[in-house]
Amino acid sequence: MKLILMGLVTGILFGFLLQKATVLRYDRQLGALRLRDMTIVKFMLSAVCVAMVGVYLLHDLGMAALSVKETVLGANIVGAILFGLGWGLLGYCPGTSLGALGEGRYDALWGIIGMIFGAAVFARAYPFLTETVYTWGNYGKLTLPSALGINHWPVIIAFIVISLLLFWWFEKIKL
Amino acid sequence: MSDKNQWNPYLAGGLTGIVMILSIWIAGQFFGASTSFVRTAGIIENLFSPERVQQLEYYVRVAPRLEWQWFFVVGILLGSLAASKLGGNFRWQAVPDMWQHRFGNTPVKRGITAFAGGAVLMFGARMADG
Repeated sequence: MKLILMGLVTGILFGFLLQKATVLRYDRQLGALRLRDMTIVKFMLSAVCVAMVGVYLLHDLGMAALSVKETVLGANIVGAILFGLGWGLLGYCPGTSLGALGEGRYDALWGIIGMIFGAAVFARAYPFLTETVYTWGNYGKLTLPSALGINHWPVIIAFIVISLLLFWWFEKIKL
Repeated sequence: MSDKNQWNPYLAGGLTGIVMILSIWIAGQFFGASTSFVRTAGIIENLFSPERVQQLEYYVRVAPRLEWQWFFVVGILLGSLAASKLGGNFRWQAVPDMWQHRFGNTPVKRGITAFAGGAVLMFGARMADG
């Protein structure tokens, strides 16, 4: 019950911030995919930079466990291509589709129904996929620091510096 | 496209990062959304054919039940509704502006594309475990 309430409150805060940043809109999402509007990239990278520092601090202090997903090249690459194709058609991603519906953009509803349908199709394709794409290039739970064999903080600092340079460039070319 | 109630994306993004940290710290929960679509599909299928759901390995792995993330996703809708109503930019719209400029006011075409896009997107998202 407590976990449910926390989920709801966390979602409300996230939905509020997404709406305020105007990143829920189809025009913003297509604008990012067409490399015409970097609002979403600014929003996402800012969130990643801040969260990265906080999560690794918690991790170093033993107060949180990381949730690292497996790197499986076949599933990651084929899945990413399909995701990108679908995202370009829908113009919302799974989380933002609910947010878009919340601000009245009800074309998101057809996308939400499509996504539930896609999930049901995936459940049927799963046995076939475990014998194919999931067997291609499985590197296990890989992170950048572990792959480079170095401590995570230099990687985090480098990531933040690159992000800041990217932000500076976006502002310079007014993207 | 920009409106007066819009927040700076760096600020809103940074605040989102803080919400993420608090969520991981307090609840031990990482942000995500696509798993909830699998759970919802399973819940709907359970209404019609529970035996079928039990036979599908993926629904055993991602059980058809409501948990933290499902309420998180519902929360996104409520938070966006509150922000847009308070900010005065809630707009009931069937066809996005950019779509209208390119394809005209074509809600059926938009609806079919959105459905198809959603299905392909979710298949890919689950495959890549995103």
